[in-house]
Amino acid sequence: MPMTGPVLTRRIPTFPYGNPRDRRTVWYDDYVKSGGYEALRRSIALEPAAVVDMVKDSSLRGRGGAGFPCGLKWTFLPKNYEGQRYLAVNADESEPGTFKDRLILDYDPHMLLEGIAISCFACRIQTAYIYIRGEYHHQARILERAIAEAYGQGIFGGRGILNGACDFKVDCYLHRGAGAYICGEETGLLESLEGKRGWPRIKPPFPAVKGLFGKPTIINNVETLCCVPFIIEHGVEWFKSLGCASKIGGPPSFGTKLMGVSGHVQRPGVYECDLGIPLRRLVEEYCGGMRGGKRYKAAIAGGVSMGVLGTDQFDAEMDFDIGRKYEVLGLGTACPTIFDEDTDMVMVARNIARFFKNESCGQCTPCREGSGWMYKLLCRMERGEAKLKDIDLLLELAGSMGAMPGTTICGLADGNNWAVRTIVNKFRSEFEARCSPSFVPVTVGVA
Amino acid sequence: MARITINGKPCEFTGAPSILEVALANGLEIPHYCWHEGLSVVASCRICLAEVWAPNPRSGELEPIPRLLPTCQTPCGDGQVVRTDSPKAIANQKAVMEYLLINHPLDCPICDQAGECYLQDYSYEYGRGESRFEEAKIKQPKKDVGPHIYLYSDRCIMCSRCVRFTREVTGTAELCVVGRGSSEQIDLFPGKALDNELSGNVADICPVGALLDKDFLFTQRVWLLTKTPSIDGLTASGDNISIEHNQGRIYRVKPRRNLSVNKWWISDEVRYGWKFIHSDQRLTEPRRLQYGEQVGTNFSAAYDEIDERLAAAREAGAKVAALVSPMLSCEEAYLMARWVRAACGEQSRPIIGVGPVPVNGEDRTFPPGASPADRNAFTIRAEKAPNARGVRRVLKGLNGTEAFEFAKWLEAIKDAEVVLLTGNYPSEWVTKDLAKALSRKCIFLIDTLPNDLTGKANVLLPGATWAEKSGTFENANGLLQAFEQAIPPVEGSRSEGQIFADLLARRAASTNGHGAPRYNAAAVREEMAASLGLMEFIRDVQAPAAGSFIESDMELVEL
Ligand SMILES: Cc1cc2nc3c(=O)[nH]c(=O)nc-3n(C[C@H](O)[C@H](O)[C@H](O)COP(=O)(O)O)c2cc1C
Ligand code: SF4
Ligand code: SF4
Ligand code: FES
Repeated sequence: MPMTGPVLTRRIPTFPYGNPRDRRTVWYDDYVKSGGYEALRRSIALEPAAVVDMVKDSSLRGRGGAGFPCGLKWTFLPKNYEGQRYLAVNADESEPGTFKDRLILDYDPHMLLEGIAISCFACRIQTAYIYIRGEYHHQARILERAIAEAYGQGIFGGRGILNGACDFKVDCYLHRGAGAYICGEETGLLESLEGKRGWPRIKPPFPAVKGLFGKPTIINNVETLCCVPFIIEHGVEWFKSLGCASKIGGPPSFGTKLMGVSGHVQRPGVYECDLGIPLRRLVEEYCGGMRGGKRYKAAIAGGVSMGVLGTDQFDAEMDFDIGRKYEVLGLGTACPTIFDEDTDMVMVARNIARFFKNESCGQCTPCREGSGWMYKLLCRMERGEAKLKDIDLLLELAGSMGAMPGTTICGLADGNNWAVRTIVNKFRSEFEARCSPSFVPVTVGVA
Repeated sequence: MARITINGKPCEFTGAPSILEVALANGLEIPHYCWHEGLSVVASCRICLAEVWAPNPRSGELEPIPRLLPTCQTPCGDGQVVRTDSPKAIANQKAVMEYLLINHPLDCPICDQAGECYLQDYSYEYGRGESRFEEAKIKQPKKDVGPHIYLYSDRCIMCSRCVRFTREVTGTAELCVVGRGSSEQIDLFPGKALDNELSGNVADICPVGALLDKDFLFTQRVWLLTKTPSIDGLTASGDNISIEHNQGRIYRVKPRRNLSVNKWWISDEVRYGWKFIHSDQRLTEPRRLQYGEQVGTNFSAAYDEIDERLAAAREAGAKVAALVSPMLSCEEAYLMARWVRAACGEQSRPIIGVGPVPVNGEDRTFPPGASPADRNAFTIRAEKAPNARGVRRVLKGLNGTEAFEFAKWLEAIKDAEVVLLTGNYPSEWVTKDLAKALSRKCIFLIDTLPNDLTGKANVLLPGATWAEKSGTFENANGLLQAFEQAIPPVEGSRSEGQIFADLLARRAASTNGHGAPRYNAAAVREEMAASLGLMEFIRDVQAPAAGSFIESDMELVEL
């Protein structure tokens, strides 16, 4: 059953359910008037374990990029451990083309705070840190004010949740990043929170066991946490009626998803859709079609790390199976960037490579050196100074880095790898057209 | 016991050591840059990756793990099979080597590290031999980071060992990483300099030629150096060192790993403290006082005079005193005391004391806050003499009672007429009290550097520093450690051990006519055990690990 009305965007007017011009920040009073913090009230009447079970049963998957089952992650926390635990809320949103969390932070900050309060209650977490992207100045100010409101209204603070309706106390702090993409990677984020250089940690130990300041820590994306109150409010079955099951026998993609579309479309922006919506429908129905009536050529699936969908993959369903079905890394943040027929894919590759070479944290040799090399090579290719053999070199370099071949610590290198590799593989002829032959045939005149 | 097979070799292990540690313990090589036994594991250089097959817990059948795993971080699992020589692992090694060199200036001919550089060694062993990098290299600056260290950022491979060292060992955190991606650099924390007491170690742990020792810079190619295992001869730490020298000159001192003493480190004091050995002030000629003025002489004439003066003192029933320097080895202390006693005869016992033991401040343990007993703790000793305990041990073994400490000895020698002193300190050691107490006495002095007494001694003999002889030191923890002679004594000097062996031989020769034997520390230790019952000198003395003596296999040929 597809969604019949807005869920995450209930208070954020969004096409087709509302007019974006009517958007304004929903503060505490309005939030409560429209049913806010009801889910929190309901949660604290339950056993914490029951809340975790509901999230687990809903099959809610992480909205931050990896799509890891949220409830399952929560169960990795050590049992029978009474000490300090942390929740790190990932609001670093630095993936190029991704701006879905910003919509929530801009207009409905209490939805996030409610999600945080419920999750902390369920997982017995005493302290939550919201790690917000450095460039989100405005959003940081909104959150500061919303957190102050929440403390004032007894959501957080020393009296216990909801002014002492429950003994459990939760504290919530905002922490601003300093402009590094890598601090969105969960362990890079923890290092940064601890005041260190954002160098992702080697795993194991996993954060759920030894995370922030060495204590058990859960890291979740903003949107993931925002789904939690709705699951409590409307129930597991309702949530599972949204989105879609896997068509290839994998784990399901239930729920709605904020999809931030950018690029060559008529009406870029964030839309809320069922998971599984074909990209073509998203572009044609929600975004008003391609800009200037041009033809679709390619799309970045969900943040540049995921690689591109080819010209023949416009009908790809936007769900967590997309990776296995369409030769991209995954759904990522489900924020596609659409390219029309005029786009120079070599330039796209070069531009993406530039991002990764700037953002590599520089720990792992293959990512640090490989990202710089690929960028320089792509620049040369774009200028038309490369040879055909350089394309193979480029593919080899890309393939040599990533947490999946195991040659790097974190997934940033995989993103670089997939972005470059999928563009070259799916648009190889454009690259070949820019390169000169590796061998110049020499003819010897035989009299 | 649990078992893991690494590159075809079955290795046993207990607990959960990393694959790399087990491989190294079994004599297998796995290339590694960022991993260092004394530092935390970051697994960032990615050259140590291996392909691993693990037994399925249910069926027991070996199944491949789809990703390459860092052997420095991954703990061993029972029954696993590890290969760093599989096609995938080799492809990664080649890729990492190529990556590390794309922005490297390849200036080995003018780099101090050449010859002991892991980039060179691994390039040869695991690299691809050519680079496909055609773009412009990133150029990075050379930086003066501290009193002892230069940083050639160009050659740095960002293994972060140096940064971890300043955080985890010294706790001073002067170094940090700045920038991102391939333009990342090691740099000083703003407002700081790399000037901690252990700073020289960063040049040792840097696997490449990025951090270099200013003191050694451009002085010698490392393949010309012979490395002799030795023990710190300046403080009571007993730090294991390697003295690296060529043609009788020391060029540098480096730590030798010893987990029960200095771990992997030495202090800058020990690293650079050897300079006095090659001081042009060194005493190189025996001298004697003639009509109130010192004149040069030779050893045998000097020995004659000593013997005569002592014989005369014995006739006259005059008292003889001897001061055994804590800079001497146990063997030398033994020979010295034995000879003095023999020279004084049965009737009159010499007054033997231990020379002054310099102390500077307090012991300092690193990392700050650690207890000296901690696994990774490193202690700088306040006591600046290598063998006070050993000298006391030997003198007690010989006399049956504790020897005089310096202050007591000074009081005890009031009416002594002949005094034999040994010095061998790297700096001035003769106190005003000592000089006063010795006025109008007959002085025999064996020393290495000029001081208040060298011009006044009736007989002055040039001694040799610890690097120029072998022996045993007992460190602050009571550990007896033997060291080897690195270089010959500077021309004209003789080790104290040899001097007393000579003097003892002269006494024996008057009865049986044998010539002077060469001083041999091991033989003296056996003698101490046999004649004094000091069995620890054959039982407990730690010899340098096998393989720690490395002779240069290069010869300098003048064309
Ligand atoms: C290089 C890199 C950057 C990332 N950046 C973000 C980010 O900006 N925001 C985010 O929510 N997750 C980001 N992630 C994903 C997080 O590591 C992590 O999977 C996520 O926060 C978990 O939350 P979720 O399970 O709720 O999705 C990034 C991952 C990588 C490898
Ligand atoms: S893969 Fe890249 S970004 Fe991730 S830890 Fe390694 S160097 Fe840093
Ligand atoms: S300077 Fe040397 S030790 Fe420090 S990071 Fe670079 S290569 Fe490693
Ligand atoms: S030694 Fe294992 S990654 Fe560096």
